[in-house]
Amino acid sequence: MADNLPSEFDVIVIGTGLPESIIAAACSRSGQRVLHVDSRNYYGGNWASFSFSGLLSWIKEYQENGDTTNESSRWQEQVLENEEAIGLSKKDKTIQHVEVFCYASQDLHEDVEEAGALQKNHASVTSANSTEAADSACLPTEDESLSIVSCEMSAEQTPSSDPESAPEVNDAEATGEKGDHCDDKTSEEETSTNVPTAADTIEQPKKNRITYSQIIKEGRRFNIDLVSKLLYSRGLLIDLLIKSNVSRYAEFKNITRILAFREGRVEQVPCSRADVFNSKQLSMVEKRMLMKFLTFCMEYEEHPDEYKGYEEIAFSEYLKTQKLTPNLQYFVLHSIAMTSETTTTTLDGLKATKNFLHCLGRYGNTPFLFPLYGQGELPQCFCRMCAVFGGIYCLRHSVQCLVVDKESRKCKAIIDQFGQRIMSTHFLVEDSYLSENMCSHVQYRQISRAVLITDRSVLKTDSDQQISILTVPAEEPGTSAVRVIELCSSTMTCMKGTYLVHLTCTSSKTARDDLEPVVQKLFTPFTEMEIEKEEVEKPRILWALYFNMRDSSDIDRNCYKDLPSNVYVCSGPDCALGNDNAVKQAETLFQQIYPNEDFCPPPPNPEDIILDGDSSQPGASESIAIPEANSETPEESANLENPQAPSE
Amino acid sequence: METKATPQRIVTRIEGEEGSLETARQGGPAARMQAPHKEHLYKLLVIGDLGVGKTSIIKRYVHQNFSSHYRATIGVDFALKVLHWDPETVVRLQLWDIAGQERFGNMTRVYYREAMGAFIVFDVTRPATFEAVAKWKNDLDSKLTLPNGKPVSVVLLANKCDQAKDVLMNNGLKMDQFCKEHGFVGWFETSAKENINIDEASRCLVKHILANECDLMESIEPDVVKPHLTSPKVVSCSSCAKS
Repeated sequence: MADNLPSEFDVIVIGTGLPESIIAAACSRSGQRVLHVDSRNYYGGNWASFSFSGLLSWIKEYQENGDTTNESSRWQEQVLENEEAIGLSKKDKTIQHVEVFCYASQDLHEDVEEAGALQKNHASVTSANSTEAADSACLPTEDESLSIVSCEMSAEQTPSSDPESAPEVNDAEATGEKGDHCDDKTSEEETSTNVPTAADTIEQPKKNRITYSQIIKEGRRFNIDLVSKLLYSRGLLIDLLIKSNVSRYAEFKNITRILAFREGRVEQVPCSRADVFNSKQLSMVEKRMLMKFLTFCMEYEEHPDEYKGYEEIAFSEYLKTQKLTPNLQYFVLHSIAMTSETTTTTLDGLKATKNFLHCLGRYGNTPFLFPLYGQGELPQCFCRMCAVFGGIYCLRHSVQCLVVDKESRKCKAIIDQFGQRIMSTHFLVEDSYLSENMCSHVQYRQISRAVLITDRSVLKTDSDQQISILTVPAEEPGTSAVRVIELCSSTMTCMKGTYLVHLTCTSSKTARDDLEPVVQKLFTPFTEMEIEKEEVEKPRILWALYFNMRDSSDIDRNCYKDLPSNVYVCSGPDCALGNDNAVKQAETLFQQIYPNEDFCPPPPNPEDIILDGDSSQPGASESIAIPEANSETPEESANLENPQAPSE
Repeated sequence: METKATPQRIVTRIEGEEGSLETARQGGPAARMQAPHKEHLYKLLVIGDLGVGKTSIIKRYVHQNFSSHYRATIGVDFALKVLHWDPETVVRLQLWDIAGQERFGNMTRVYYREAMGAFIVFDVTRPATFEAVAKWKNDLDSKLTLPNGKPVSVVLLANKCDQAKDVLMNNGLKMDQFCKEHGFVGWFETSAKENINIDEASRCLVKHILANECDLMESIEPDVVKPHLTSPKVVSCSSCAKS
């Protein structure tokens, strides 16, 4: 659809993950000509979020693992005598051990497709079948879908469903996406006029039961993150968002609860002053102890004698010496400092505790924020910023090779999938694009991830709209603590009546091996036969996904072979809870490339942008004047706003 | 008509304090209750192929100005237009241009999000841009729905009609049919250059949005955090200080 790309840029960025997107925005903001490409058909790389059908396509892609892009062989001709080409990787190897389990009942005598979602991008790359389904574009009206949600459905499993077109499902024989679609909507109406035929529907409680076809139909309500992170409310990312005013593109929710898992029970951890005083689970004595200790942590640096001699000793040991009950020690160690590893020193533990307390209360009762519509929004916010300042975006656009000058050992250009040679001064490459050969000496760590769709919260309260974080400490030595983040539907990441649960830990085995024990402790698989056995039962899993993601965050650039000096490498997501690593990386690389430029300064005040509407000054094609002097900072203008705005 | 005007500087307010979505809630209209006034803030998208005149339409509409001198939209998220709809109602329109260079159809969700309506523009002198209209509409519907699940109102603009007076005259019926099939609420022949029909098209779109509005009020999302808003005297000043 688009004409050829310009043949010269200042910066070419390959990959649209968070660090790359921040750098692209920073470069574009400082007036550089930026080309930002991604071979995938979505923004964000391993930082992306997907609708349910988008995720199914993603899964399929990694399970098939075989697709090759058609490439033009013309590129060799484009490499001159005094140049050599460094090929880039065609296949993404960062995701492994993808396993899917579907527990929700699959009443698939109907053809089900995602309501209103065309999702062409995903479909076009993966399954031809789903493309057809998408193209048929039948848009059931919302009323119909709603009536389905609120009605009990009989669960019939039909052997006729087509397993081929579905992603591999391990212990269930059918899934949603069926090959041939029917574009009549009557099927849905039939579904909703539910006749309880199957025997097992008889004892069903008067509850909404979410079926797999509902998940498919409401698939657009899901925004499922590949990485599960939160923003510390005083972390680097929040500060960058505010400083650059990219925050205008994003909205957030507060994490509402910090949870702990002790003796088989999930309980809420009091962390703010108000929480501590209102807590019913703590005795008066404990309340005083905890407040005293937390107050000390806020200013531990001023009382070095309090922890003298313990600096390098395990934090957990130090806590034992403090006046804290085991209960409180557990809370501080696992839920507040979130340093479950036995190796964490007292100094690091105190630092983490202070950071936690420092972030409390800026926006809410916990230190964390979650972006509405998922973490995948954040790279896109920076991409938008880049585009607004002139950056050019091409998804589904792969780069075949970097062209390096033999003499200077500098990269001069890229050659893209169409054989077009595009020159640039600087090149940023996300590490998954680097060829195997280049990375042969690199040792990667892995992150284990699980994504669950469940039917209720791990800790029920009056409100069903809670966003919670829970740390489950490691059970055996050598394994690591598992971070659990439970999102409710008001985060815009899952359909009403469901919860989206993300589990994350540093891998010691495959994701499923690492995480399944914790999943089994907290959840139970959804089964059709189940009757209301216990009143207080665990949340039931409707659908589960496990996968391992490569963690390249700590790789030194010297590990890569033959890297030209003007090619900079960005890493994929790390395992940490916050996003500091990505921001630091982006800022460091940007400063290396443009040592004298400001990193993401606030955009000019609207009042100061002058668009020259006159055609008689052809020379002034970029006639936007940016008077720096009197530009108001966004903070100041925020001050002018009604401070109550969020609740307005 | 203004093309011969003397050099003139136009100030674009990309984001006045009130112009940003800060006052709007989740996908919804913001009713700011000051005085007996009702104020609505709507985000509108202006979509279409490269060079069909999106920026010209916005500039004509917002600044009463037209320039035949092509210029990509740089550093500007949206332009703000204030309409005095009736004595009690003020409507603020944010017109979001597709950041000129995002021209390969890879718009971010950020662009689409929370929009209440859209103009899809084509150039009557270039049939290929009309062929792309259905593609843009599909793309829009796949990425954006109102909180109630319905597609947003879209008006089709046949721009540059000053250059091809009768191309569409004969095709009026066909156009009506096309709009019906593809779910446009209406279509207009426009000219940013001659200032034809732009106000009318906008009124048509706003009318449809206002009509849809009542069923959306319930979908207002509470407890949303907007960092730049709720952080009046914050730490970030320290990071600004070094800039």
